[in-house]
Amino acid sequence: MNFTLHIWRQENAKAKGHFETYKVSDISPECSFLEMLDILNEQLINDHIAHPVCFDNDCREGICGMCGLYINGRPHGNDDGITTCQLHMRKFHDGDEIWIEPWRAKAFPIIRDLVVDRSAFDKIIQSGGYVSVTTGGVPDANAIPVPKRFADMAMDAAECIGCGACVAACKNASAMLFVGAKVAHLAMLPQGQVEANERVKKMVCKMDELGFGSCTNTYACEAECPKQIKRQNIARLNREWIKQLFAGNHKPEE
Amino acid sequence: MDTNKLIKISSITKKLLVALFGAFLLVFLLFHMCANLFILAKDGGEAYGAFTHFMGTNVIVKVLEVVLLGTFLLHICLSVYLWWQNRKNRPVRYHQTSRTKTAKGSKLAIISGSLLLVCLIFHFYDFYFVKLNFVEGTYMVKTEEFMNSEPDQEISEEARVAFMNLINDGKTSKDMQWIRQISAEDKAVLQEAFPKAEFEPDFYAMARQKFSIWHIVLGYLVFFLVVGLHIRHGFESAFQTFGLNHYKYSRLVEILGIIYCWVVCLGFAIVPIGVFFGL
Repeated sequence: MNFTLHIWRQENAKAKGHFETYKVSDISPECSFLEMLDILNEQLINDHIAHPVCFDNDCREGICGMCGLYINGRPHGNDDGITTCQLHMRKFHDGDEIWIEPWRAKAFPIIRDLVVDRSAFDKIIQSGGYVSVTTGGVPDANAIPVPKRFADMAMDAAECIGCGACVAACKNASAMLFVGAKVAHLAMLPQGQVEANERVKKMVCKMDELGFGSCTNTYACEAECPKQIKRQNIARLNREWIKQLFAGNHKPEE
Repeated sequence: MDTNKLIKISSITKKLLVALFGAFLLVFLLFHMCANLFILAKDGGEAYGAFTHFMGTNVIVKVLEVVLLGTFLLHICLSVYLWWQNRKNRPVRYHQTSRTKTAKGSKLAIISGSLLLVCLIFHFYDFYFVKLNFVEGTYMVKTEEFMNSEPDQEISEEARVAFMNLINDGKTSKDMQWIRQISAEDKAVLQEAFPKAEFEPDFYAMARQKFSIWHIVLGYLVFFLVVGLHIRHGFESAFQTFGLNHYKYSRLVEILGIIYCWVVCLGFAIVPIGVFFGL
């Protein structure tokens, strides 16, 4: 298969970026999207055309959350419930033009080309996405005293890999689905419930501070999440926030 | 990071306020729609006149009117502020337009909301501003106001003629308690002769008159369509923002939202259509 690629090239965070057009040919339909970019980079290096295109990737099996490209108007490309590395070229047609952009958000500044700095997510987690005390080793699933339905919901929320597709898809660059998932999975298990009020307060304030937008219930995040985290988690986040407004009246730790 | 500031209002709290004000407006809308249906009654405005008289004079209603206007303003200001803030969170736009499959209602909420604001100004010009004496309309007055009032001066011939014309034209209610459909000119003449008489806007006559003009009817139908689009997003969205999402009842909320949307829109639309076709 042959493709024309329009790829965003940007030297560094401060430089002015632009689209560069490259052609790749004889790509196998079984090739993954990132492998296709590897082939392009080999060409660029071997033919001394340009510096290879930088893009984030790690596990290449859809579980680490490192890769993330905005392909033809959709985060992670034109398929549901997958990360970019799980997108295959058979999803495209021969001769397609493919536009590849990095995540665009104030909170995710570009490092180089298609690589963005997602440490804002880490900062949100650091602000409250943890349990402060040692809760011991991993207990047997049936030893945690919660109904299975809650355990399932917590597990569904905990599936979030922090790839940032929710922010990339949202018209407001809002991180509500990410924060919702992180708040929800801890709030539903006994280990996390004690600090629930404090946690939601800290994480939401941090989210606002870092320049993520607010939610307008468009649910683009839910549509693009590779782990298909549900909008119910945003509702839970709102609920936890309301609870905190009325309950969290003690002085927070310095 | 200071999470303990009193004045700092988080994005979620702002959204909660927008939803709260919106929910109040949804209740008002239903009430407004129900009241409008009295315009379809062919009783010369008996029922609707009694209703507008109550709404225009009751103290609690007057307080609620201020609350309502405030709610409108806050809902609009906060939404526009949030929209403005949200725009800033993506300084460099995507080259490709989004192909993510989403419901359009919420994306268009700011546009439908802005359109509503424009429509609302026209709507206020048609009706509400008459009450505030910003524009002239048609008026009604209680007959007893003329009986009880003792004019300081001799009643002018002009006023006498105007008054008699109103009586002779059958513009009184059946029990003779009200004189209706008083034009702005007649009102000016009568008001001069009877300074103490309290004239009220005759919304029934104004609605009947305006809804007999096709382009006004069409304008209002567009208005109601935009209202529908806006509340179709708003109804469900408010529940989500309040954190009321349930594996079972969310479906019910969705259905209720659709029913509410259709009932309100059709309820509003039936009045100008009905009046136009002489119902």
